[in-house]
Amino acid sequence: MAKFNTYFALAKAKGIEVFELYYSRSKSLSFKLYNSQIEGYKLSEDISLYARGVYQGKIGYASTEKITKESAEFLVNEIVTNAGTVTKEELAIIFKGSEKYKKKTVYNPALAELPIEVKKQNLFAVEQKLKAADPRIAQVNACTYQERESEAILMNSYGLKLKRKSNSYYYYAGVLAIQGEERKSEGEVHFSNDPTTFNIDRFVNKITSKVLLKFNGTQCASKDYKVVLDKEVVADLLAAYLDSASAEEVQKNTSLMIGKLNQPVASKKLTILETPLKKNPFFTYFDDEGVATYNKTVIKKGVLQTYFHNLNTAHKAGVTTTGNGYRSGGKIGVGFQNITLKPGKKSLETLFATIGEGVYITEVMGVHASLNPQSGNFSLQANGFLIENGQRGTALTLITVAGNLVDLFMNVKDVASDNELLSSGYDVPSLYIKKLAISGK
Amino acid sequence: MISKTLASVLLSEATAFGADFAEIYLEDTLSSNLSMENGKIEERISTNGYGVGVRVLKGLQSAYGYTSDLSKKSLIKLAQDVGKAFSGERVLTPPPLSKVKVKETINLSARPAEVVSVTEKVALLTLANDTMASYDKRIVRTNVYLSDMVKKVTIFNTLGRQVEDTRRRARLYMIAVAAENGKFETAGEGPGASDGFDFFTEKIKIQEMALETAKSAITLLGAAECPSGKMPVVIGNGFGGVIFHEACGHPFEASAVSKKLSVFWDKLGKQVANPVVSAVDDGTIPFGWGSTNVDDEGFPTQRVQLIKDGVLTNFMIDQFNGRRMNVEHNGHSRRQNYKFEPTSRMTNTYIENGPHTVEQIIAATSYGLYAKKMGGGSVNPATGEFNFAVSEGYMIRDGKIAEPVKGAALVGKGDETLSKIDMVANDLARAQGMCGAASGSIPTDVGQPTIRVTEITVGGRRGGQ
Repeated sequence: MAKFNTYFALAKAKGIEVFELYYSRSKSLSFKLYNSQIEGYKLSEDISLYARGVYQGKIGYASTEKITKESAEFLVNEIVTNAGTVTKEELAIIFKGSEKYKKKTVYNPALAELPIEVKKQNLFAVEQKLKAADPRIAQVNACTYQERESEAILMNSYGLKLKRKSNSYYYYAGVLAIQGEERKSEGEVHFSNDPTTFNIDRFVNKITSKVLLKFNGTQCASKDYKVVLDKEVVADLLAAYLDSASAEEVQKNTSLMIGKLNQPVASKKLTILETPLKKNPFFTYFDDEGVATYNKTVIKKGVLQTYFHNLNTAHKAGVTTTGNGYRSGGKIGVGFQNITLKPGKKSLETLFATIGEGVYITEVMGVHASLNPQSGNFSLQANGFLIENGQRGTALTLITVAGNLVDLFMNVKDVASDNELLSSGYDVPSLYIKKLAISGK
Repeated sequence: MISKTLASVLLSEATAFGADFAEIYLEDTLSSNLSMENGKIEERISTNGYGVGVRVLKGLQSAYGYTSDLSKKSLIKLAQDVGKAFSGERVLTPPPLSKVKVKETINLSARPAEVVSVTEKVALLTLANDTMASYDKRIVRTNVYLSDMVKKVTIFNTLGRQVEDTRRRARLYMIAVAAENGKFETAGEGPGASDGFDFFTEKIKIQEMALETAKSAITLLGAAECPSGKMPVVIGNGFGGVIFHEACGHPFEASAVSKKLSVFWDKLGKQVANPVVSAVDDGTIPFGWGSTNVDDEGFPTQRVQLIKDGVLTNFMIDQFNGRRMNVEHNGHSRRQNYKFEPTSRMTNTYIENGPHTVEQIIAATSYGLYAKKMGGGSVNPATGEFNFAVSEGYMIRDGKIAEPVKGAALVGKGDETLSKIDMVANDLARAQGMCGAASGSIPTDVGQPTIRVTEITVGGRRGGQ
């Protein structure tokens, strides 16, 4: 990457004390079907160059997708201006490097080797089988395949240079089913980097069985219920809850877990890990600050073991970084990868039987708008089923589920054994919650 | 930059295998984001977005490709690869390109944000910050953000059009967090426009907005949890229009209509709402947050009457989906940037003024929820089911506004809710938002006067009453 030498030389000449570049490039290919025709086809090439620099003790950020003779000048000048604008008192840190990195190869060459024609045929088969599955399936309204290859290099003026490369693919399909006046939709994603994990029939069955079960939906009476949250819902709510374990939120006084280190933040039934070194498409051996990542237990039997730190929050708290510095909105914040919730012993059916009467929530909508991360309060549109006589019963539609994140995770009474790595990067099971307010009728 | 000569070559390459239309979209965007927390500047980030998207159509098929590598070699390869998505004989020889004069009505700013000094921008943020912070001791955190950008686009297509447009937008976002007894409440306001810096200094009153924001956060501290169940809901003006945006705006987009995915696909000319309801999507409003001189296919934006006196009169249509519907597009094709293939989207969407006053509406409601300010939401266009959050609410009892409530979510079905709007006031206001859909996140205005819906399911944490 000799072409970036000029950037470092210019940064030095303009008085930038430490300079860092993060160069990423990714290519993707996708196609989608509609009515047994390839309706859309997309080729993309993303190129970005993120720069950071310490100038007069403050940090400045700039980025560009325009890589020309002028880009070094643009980035360096903007860093100088932007660093000069900062008035927040914070140590400006760019990392020298970890002692050891656990690099693994996650790039799977088998994906590129499989001919595009096979992928197209798979997609046609998905559409055809969905249409044939049931006369009530009125439309396959989404049927898409996408594959992507990404590589990135992080380099800084201390001489640190780290590279990563990955690839992945997904199939996505969605259907609209109609029965009388009822219109129901359902979709499913299969995400992986191993082409052998895609099973057309399993994928199709999952979608059709889910959508057809939604018919004859009703609203239940508004009251508190014993509730089982499906793993997809658990992933959504856990993502929101774990944001509170970010040291950045703690230090800004906006976390639900302030002062909770080594204290219970969830039911004893819950053990939650962050496993960035788990070998899957979400694997990463360094964070966006160049710090080596490692696997860790975040919540052990309900007790919070650690906050997620980047270099800056760690410095403030007087601890070492946990390798959780990730870029969001251009700057380095705090993030996490590969969250695993340890499974329990009971199957979903056994949980229903234990509960007898209650509600099984399979979908929540509007988490971005109707969940307040500061108070933990939420009131979300939901779909699901009544649990009647210890079994999944009548479908529920247009209900809302309301509660508080802390209470919800404290009130977990049991953990199912149905773990699955979801396309969101969460490997979680379904959970039985003692009590949640549902409104319907 | 791409010369006219190179553009002609690319259009020709892209149509070599049977495409009946090709388009090149070039974008160069400079943006800056300034963020302040508790009166200190946290960071300023400068970004240069840059790239080219090549699109080809063949009947009801499309192919799209993009890159940030603008070397001649890379662009020709991209045009060829995208063109090869089809397999057929050439059916179109692109005509010579000629520059179309764009009528500039949107971005006539006196002081574009990019020429305003960082010092002056910091002073604006400080004003908003200090106003919120000094309102009440219980305001424990304040955030103010300013983002501004100038986006230059050039669009070439096989209709022989070369269209250039410059879009300037700026938005300020302020958040006040109030705390008492370990409980936190948040309120925010985000005024923005297709305008320069004078929008903030001359056209709106930042100090008043900051005061209102701080006041909302303090009010929420004293608010009880909202009860749940079905009840009449009075929805406040301005951002209250997010209900119409989610519940009707998305299903009125040609992408949903053309595939019969929208519940409204066959309702043109039919009564879909009470005659007090008329609604519009207007991309031509001067300085409007969702306005542009031309849409992202390079066609002039339009004002479209969606509903007139309760009757569905039109949809928002782009070129591609218009083909499936056998109708002309109406300047509603939009995209976040070159990474997205454009599709039918909203611009500035609002319900027009009606015959009632706010006082009449409240007085006519014996029990219900007054959703004064709305948060965000989402909709499933296939089923019409929507949800959105109430950020500031009050109970209505005996025709009067009573105690404040929080934590409410409204859920329902778009067509049903639309038919249940029975009163519309005369206090129309618009508010700014970002709308996410297939072609990315784009600036849109929502808007309405105060309206009443006879029944919506309200989800609250207090349970049924």
